[in-house]
Amino acid sequence: MRFQGMIGSIALTMAVIAAPVAAQQPFDESKYPAMAGQWLRVGPLGVFDSTKPNGRGQQAPLTPEYQAIFEANLAEVAKGGSGDDPVYTCIPEGMPRAMNLVLPMEIAITRNTTYIMMEYLSMLRRIYTDGRAFPTDEDPSWMGYSIGKWIDEDGDGRYDVLEVETRNLKNPRTFDPSGLPVHKDGATVVKERFYLDKANPDILHDQITVEDHALTRPWTVLKTMRREKKPIWVESICAEGNIHVSIGNQHYLLNGDGELMPFMKDQPPPDLKHFSQPKK
Amino acid sequence: MTRLQSTSVLAGLAFAAATGAAMAHHSFAMFDMEHPIEISGTVKEFRFVSPHTILILQVKGADGVVKDWTLEGGAPGLLVRDGMSSKSLKPGDDIRLTINPLHSGAEGGSYQPAQIKFKDGTSVAAPK
Repeated sequence: MRFQGMIGSIALTMAVIAAPVAAQQPFDESKYPAMAGQWLRVGPLGVFDSTKPNGRGQQAPLTPEYQAIFEANLAEVAKGGSGDDPVYTCIPEGMPRAMNLVLPMEIAITRNTTYIMMEYLSMLRRIYTDGRAFPTDEDPSWMGYSIGKWIDEDGDGRYDVLEVETRNLKNPRTFDPSGLPVHKDGATVVKERFYLDKANPDILHDQITVEDHALTRPWTVLKTMRREKKPIWVESICAEGNIHVSIGNQHYLLNGDGELMPFMKDQPPPDLKHFSQPKK
Repeated sequence: MTRLQSTSVLAGLAFAAATGAAMAHHSFAMFDMEHPIEISGTVKEFRFVSPHTILILQVKGADGVVKDWTLEGGAPGLLVRDGMSSKSLKPGDDIRLTINPLHSGAEGGSYQPAQIKFKDGTSVAAPK
């Protein structure tokens, strides 16, 4: 009995020693596709569907209500306005617009999280790959909460695809600078499949499907990026030299001397009721 | 037109890869993308800042009067990848360039690195 007890103790001790060793297995990079590094946009700037012209040419499947909102935004842009595009104040583009990739992005793969770092507006995506569920009480954010899953589609023991779902998004967001709107309820769901091109491993695809109440159906586009083998890393701090100012519901500009200027013709000045006005 | 008016119109991102569309930080609707013009002048200031670099150029008009033109270009990240840096242009440099002028007629527009040349004809941008 005493011998059995000793065996049991030894077994328990070995299990305790083994458990943390198993959890600390080194990250096996070879199991993952060569997605790490800098990627540049392929295709035109400023559109969600890279195969179609901007604006109405995107043929976004908007509901009648949101098509009317879009038309109003386009009309304002045609007059020189900003058409409900919120990014002029340097707030993040958010998802899915961030994947329009104005400037390069970098992918970094770690055991439990894949990071996508956008140079433009310094946006950061965290894609959790540790098997967690979506939280029920997390505050929304522009980049959303992303859960990913690595998939070995061809069964060769190596992952080929990163499937991602992003929820919990915050407004204001648009699909692109023309003011192509998402629903004001912010309940956008973005589903993605990242995979390297089979013929050319220096090409990365991101198939994006957006579900949003401003749309009549899910909207799927294919983004393509090319690898930059000699990357240059540039800091991009939008607030540094931004001359666009939001006061009330109006968009103004600062001129070269830092003076407030109208953004559009015949624009009313801001309300100065909180300032002491010089007596005339 | 006063400098105040000319500097009031600054806009979008000039994408050097000839995509045609240049909407990023905000719309390019204020520029005439269909009718570019060539201007020449002396650099007064080159602001190498995000979200858009700003080039202020002193340009002599047909009437002999020198006015400041405010030209907006891409973010530093784009210019660097097109072979420019904060040191590419300095006050006093004489340059000529093709710009997309403001629809309003004010002294301003958008520029792209590949379109800028020094007085001797050499390009300001040197793609890497």
